[in-house]
Parts: sequence; C-alpha cells; structure tokens
Amino acid sequence: MGGKFVLLTLVVALATTACGSGEGEALVVYSGRTENLVGPLFEDFTAETGIEVEIRYAPSEDLALLITQEGQKSPADVFISQSPGAIGLLAGANLLEKLGPDTIERVPERYRNSEGRWVGLSGRVRVLVYNTELVAATDLPESVFDLVEPVYEGRVALAPANGSFQDFVTGLREMHGDAAAIEWLAGMEANGSPTYANNSAIVQAVGRGEAEMGLVNHYYNLRALAEDPSLTSANHYFEDVGSLVIITAAGALRSSEKLAEAEQLLQFLLDTESQVFFTSETFEYPLAVDSEPASGLPAFADLNVTTYDFNDLSGGLSRTKELIDASGLEAP
Amino acid sequence: MQVVSRRPDVRQVREPIRWNPLGIAGWLTTGLFLFPLAYLLWESVSDGEAVARLISGTVAGPLIRSIALAVATALLASVLGVGVAVLVTRTDLPGRRFWGVAAALPLVIPSYVAAAALRAAFGSGGLVPGIPRPSGFGGSLLVLAAVTYPYVLLPVAARLRSMPASLEEAGRLLGSSGAMVFRRVVLPQARTAIISGALIAFLYALSDFGAVSLMRYDTVTRAIFASRLADRPTALALGLVLGVIALAVAAATRSSRDNSGANVASSVRIYSLGRARFAAMAGMAGVIGLALVAPVAVFVVWWLRSTGSSTWVPSVQTLWDPALHSALAGIAAGGLAMVLLLPAAYLVARRSSLLASAASASIASTFALPGLVLALTLVYWVLQAPGPIDRLYQSFPLLILAYVVHFGVQAHRSSSGAVQALPERYGEAAQVLGAGAVRRFLSIDLPLIMPGVIAGGGLVMLSTLKELPATLLLAPTGFDTLATRVWGAAADGFLAEVGITSLVLILMSGVLTWFLVLRPSGLADPGADESQDGSVYHR
Repeated sequence: MGGKFVLLTLVVALATTACGSGEGEALVVYSGRTENLVGPLFEDFTAETGIEVEIRYAPSEDLALLITQEGQKSPADVFISQSPGAIGLLAGANLLEKLGPDTIERVPERYRNSEGRWVGLSGRVRVLVYNTELVAATDLPESVFDLVEPVYEGRVALAPANGSFQDFVTGLREMHGDAAAIEWLAGMEANGSPTYANNSAIVQAVGRGEAEMGLVNHYYNLRALAEDPSLTSANHYFEDVGSLVIITAAGALRSSEKLAEAEQLLQFLLDTESQVFFTSETFEYPLAVDSEPASGLPAFADLNVTTYDFNDLSGGLSRTKELIDASGLEAP
Repeated sequence: MQVVSRRPDVRQVREPIRWNPLGIAGWLTTGLFLFPLAYLLWESVSDGEAVARLISGTVAGPLIRSIALAVATALLASVLGVGVAVLVTRTDLPGRRFWGVAAALPLVIPSYVAAAALRAAFGSGGLVPGIPRPSGFGGSLLVLAAVTYPYVLLPVAARLRSMPASLEEAGRLLGSSGAMVFRRVVLPQARTAIISGALIAFLYALSDFGAVSLMRYDTVTRAIFASRLADRPTALALGLVLGVIALAVAAATRSSRDNSGANVASSVRIYSLGRARFAAMAGMAGVIGLALVAPVAVFVVWWLRSTGSSTWVPSVQTLWDPALHSALAGIAAGGLAMVLLLPAAYLVARRSSLLASAASASIASTFALPGLVLALTLVYWVLQAPGPIDRLYQSFPLLILAYVVHFGVQAHRSSSGAVQALPERYGEAAQVLGAGAVRRFLSIDLPLIMPGVIAGGGLVMLSTLKELPATLLLAPTGFDTLATRVWGAAADGFLAEVGITSLVLILMSGVLTWFLVLRPSGLADPGADESQDGSVYHR
C-alpha cells in the first residue's frame, strides 16, 4: 500500500509543478510546423535574445481552429502555419496584427499578406512524385492539366482533404478561374484518381508501387529517399500551376501582449541562418530576399513561383473546399 | 466462499440514494460529462444553416458508413475478445498466462499507427507482399477490431475468473455437456461484461479518424476533419450527431444486473481443450500476430532500416521526457477516473430509473466525439467560466480532467459492473451487525470491487497514453508525449522515428499495465492453476 501513496504523492507533486509553469513569462508560439522542422531555431532564438519560447506543436488547421475558439483569451503570441490557408483564415477573422516594415520587407511582396498580417517563411513546391520502375520518363506531363487525359486514368494519387492540395486548388482558381478548377477536379474524379489521407501516405504508396504517381509537396520524397535510398521514387516538376509554390507563413496575434518580442522572433526566422536551416535541414526553399536554396533542388527562379493572398480570393478556403466536395473526389 | 443471491425482482431499488453524499457525488460527476454535448447543441441550434445542411442529406452516406463500421467493429471485437478470454481463463491452453498478457497489448497501439503499420506490412512492396493490402471498410474494420478487442477481453476475463463454479456444477449435475454448460450458463453470466466491452469498441470506432483516414473509408469523422477549418459549424454539428448516437446506443445497452454474485479467491471450472488445443493456439497466434506482432515488426523494420544511413533517427534519450509525460498523464488520468467515477457506478448499478440510464448514457456520449471536437468544447467552457477558472487553461489538471471526461465511460462500465456483482448479503449482514456506511464500504465493498475499479482505471490509463488530438490542444505548452512525438514524426514522414517511438510507447504501456493494473487487480493470476486437476472437465 505504501508504494501507492509514494506514487500518488509523486503525481500530485509533478502535477503542481506542471501547473505552476507557463505563468505568462515566455513567448508562446503555436506552431503548425513540427518540432523536427523548426524546433532548433527556437533554441537558437532563446540563446541569442534571452527570450524564453514555449511552443505548442499541432496541425496548422487544428491550431487555427483553436485560436478562433480562444478568441481574445488566446495565450498564443505567434502562429506559424504550414499552409497559407490556415493563417489566411486568421487574417480574415481579423485575429492577426499588422507587422512592421522591418519584418515584412524581408520577403518579396508575393510571399506576404497584402495588409502585412503575415509573412512567408519557406516555400514548398507541388510536384508529381512517380515510381521510376512503373512510369517511363516520356509519360510525364508538362502540364498538370494533362492529368485528366485517359492515359493517366487511375494512375495519379491525390489527397483531397490535405491542406497543401487545397492550397493548390485555390492557386488554380486564382490563376485560371473557378471554371477551370471545377473542370480539372471533375476530370481527375472521372479519371478514377485514387485518394489518400496526406502527402506522406501518397509518397509511401508510390515508393512501394501501390500507386504509380501522386500530387504532393516536393520535400516528402526527398526525405523518404534520405531515409531509404533504395526507394524507386522521384519528383517531376510541372511547367505550370501544377508546380505552384506553397508557402509556410507566420504572424503575430492581435491579442498578444508581447508584440515586440513576437516580431523579433519573426525577424529571426527570416535571418539568413534560419533560412539556411529551412533549406538544408528540410529541403524547402528559403523566401527571404538574400537566401539561396540547398544544392540538389531546382533553382527557384526556374519554377512557376506563384503564390496568392487569401484575402484577395472571395470565399477563399471554404469556396475551394466546396468545389472539391462538389467534384465528387472523396477524401479518405 | 461462494455467494449466489437470487433476487426475484432485480430491478428493485435497494436503498434510497438521492440525498446521501455518494448520490450527490455521482450526479455531479455525471453532470460534468454533459458539458461537451451541451456546447455542441448550443452551437448547432444557434447556427440554423449547419443544421439545414445536415438535414439536406449530404451526411447520410458517411453516417451510414460510420454506423456500419462501428457495429461491425463491436461484433468482431466481441467475438475475438470473448474467444481469447475463454481460452486464457477457462481452458488448459498451454502458456495461457503469456497469451493473456500479450493479447491485451494491442490496446496501446494508436489506431492511426496500427493502420499505417498494417498498410506497410501487406501488399505489393510490403513486408508480406502475398497478402492484399488492407483498405476501405475491411481494412478499417480489421484495424479497429484489432485495437478494440482487448476492451472486451479484459472485463470478460475478469468476470470469467470470478464467476462462482457452483452454477456450472449444477449444470453438470443436471446432465448438460461441458459445451452446453458453457453456452447456457457461463456466457449469460458474462453478458454484462461483453456488452460493456462491445459498447466501448462501438464508440471507439465511431470516434476514430486515424484508421479510417489511412484506410480511405469515408465516415462522419472524415467529414468533420475535412470541414473543420472551412466550415466549423458543420464540423461541430457532425460531432453532435456522433454524441447523440452514443447517447442512444449507451442507453439501449445499459447493463442489466447480473444475477449471480462475485466469488473471491476460489477455484473456477477449467475446460480441457483436448486435441482442439492446437487449433486454439493457432487462432490465438493469428489474432496476436495481426494485432501486435505485425505492427511491432513494421516499427522495428522502420527503425532499423535507417540506422547508419540517416539523420532522421532520434536518440532514445530524447524520448525520456515524452515517456515520463505520457506515464504521468496516464497514471493521473487512470487514478482520477477510478475515484471520480466510483460514485456514479453506485448510482447506476443500484438504481434502475430512467435518470440512472441517462447518467450512464451521458458518460458514454463523450467517448464518441473525436478528440479534437471534445477539446474545442472544453476550451469554450474553461475560457467562458467565471472567476479564475480560465487560469486552468492548458494546465496539467485540466488536461487530466479532459482525459477523464473523454474516456470516463471505460472506467464507468468496469466499476458499475463490479458494483453490480457485489453480493448484497455481506452488506446486509454488516448492517445488522451495526457497521456504518463508510465502514461497510471500506471493509466489504471496496476489496470486492477493487479489481473491477482498477481494471477500469487501467483502460483509461492506456487510452490516455495513446490519445493525440486533445493532447495537442490542451496539454501545457511544451508538454510533449510519446503520442504527440509519433504524430510529429508521422506528419513529416520520418518513419524511423515513428517506429522507435511507437515501440517505446508499447513497451511502456505493457510495463505500466503489468505493474499498475494486472498485478494489483489480480488479473495477472492465472485464475486457476493447472494443478487443480479435480476441477477439470473433460468433454
């Protein structure tokens, strides 16, 4: 019986400790980027500035939802989003503060919110990942619009519920209009494209030959290859909106009482050293004006570098979701 | 030491409970479980459009698929759970003690991890290319049944171990065969335990997103996740739908009272398998192979494949903190659930009124909600609450309370089953001898119900260890657990890290289960030793 009391005391003691921490001293970051992809930068920031940072890692969409639910009482000071969709929703709901020129002017205009409510941190490129044993190089399309042709019937995997896919469709709408987006979605559905939960699932499926090709972000396959070099999968870049650049972005919350420190962190993430981390550790493209992508990645300038401002899109994400739903593409 | 109390009217209310402290505590606990649905109801009613969209019929397909999957999962989990329970408690199966512990372990594998592992294990490019890769309804059912059958196994095994042998002896004396006694006497006695476990499996399948998303099966939870950001009102209304289904099903399956008492420290009948033992062992190996060995093998492969070649493997030391956090949260949630739900167990077990049914159902309703939806409702209540309650937001105590509210039904069903099986004569005798209510509870009830209460706490602990979405939103900032680590690694496609972290999670869950649940509750005891030759029936 004694053991139980010791255990109970331990639990209570630790619970009290856990309860006592986080009394509003540290800068609180809600991060849709996972710890592997951003964590070391926060440690560097604290070492450099002395500002403590507490980070909550979760899917960007869930965190955006959480911030909406918290409203003015949100403990978060900074939100880092894996997709422009999630942070665009917060900007649209007027929950983000306008950032100063010292912050936003570090990235080209096309990679930031028009009102300066968020800035891009890094870029991911949409690609067609394909199994090199199952797909001949001559079979690879130049345009994402080719994928609705009969020759690709049942061969191209999609992740309709995935944020990056939805961002791509939003880009498609902005560049080619809703009608073209509707037609493309319907074409993919009619072509019997298999659907998966997310990018990782598609890359794995392609790697093991379950699917021949799939629309994903460029870095998933690079990471899969780093882990298992024997995989027979490769990235193919389109020459149009199919290889849209999708950005990760960050902003400061209006409800924050630490806006100065929040901007300091955002500027730190746009410093050259942080930008190098994004490209060398995670195979992403840096967005700050003076940074270069890692070797092995196609030059950024050669790609169809396009992004968009969700504020400019009527209906934004919810309209995109409606179109995807209406197309009959059923997300898993 | 066997007590069989035959009551002519089992629905009789035994003692007035309304105004005693136990009753009040029971109602307060129950009230706690109503908050999530109350918020969802309020949000849905105040947004007419969301309700209109639900009625418009777009939800019909996912809803039918969700219910079909949940029913099938409950049935398959019951068959597997009862089968394994019988084999490890009531037969001379060789090595049944080992099988008993191994068979409980799939409970600790998160469904999204199990699904990913099974999809990687089978099919072209998998570890076993010959077997087709599971997907769709069948794949979802396979994964969900594999991770939920222990919910049936544990209470049924406990029941079978404590069932008085006298009934079976009577059956034998009246000339029935062993098999017939088993079917006509033993199984009905375990009915409450089976129904409890099946209900948990049903609710688990209803709320699951991880398995169905990887298996590409379009259910209500899929609709919730697809619409959560762009169309929050619809997502919440769909959550309400799941909660209402849970209410209805839980009320309908509210356990009836067992009409035989518990039996303490006495022998139970052991049935000889004879030549069937080889088939039984093969079946057992098949279940454990699919539910435990296959996922574990995949994790080991993921982990080992990248050693040497990759920068993405974390050192095991970095898992120490998350492991400690997980253990702490699991133990605290399991412990709190044991204490908090005990009064409600008395309330429900000792009363047969409509209110008691409602209490039982409301405790079940929160388990059918996806963790994300449950977390959002708690965020609302805590931040809207008057006074300093909002200071609890994203604190350890609130996180633990969230786990208890989410998984409380597991402790509740187990505890109320134990209370129902209490032999009333002991209490009556003690009352006659002048013992007070508290003393009666401590000296008579508690020792008898403890195994059931501990088992219930253990289930909550294990569910907590693998919980993800609510943990991500409600844990103190920076409080990472093994489950959140698995998520982070899986989200980025770092399979090696998923593998090693999952292995640590399974190992730790097994150790905690052994020391905190199986040993103290007596479930680790083989029940009856092979040496009890006098009690072995031969078919």
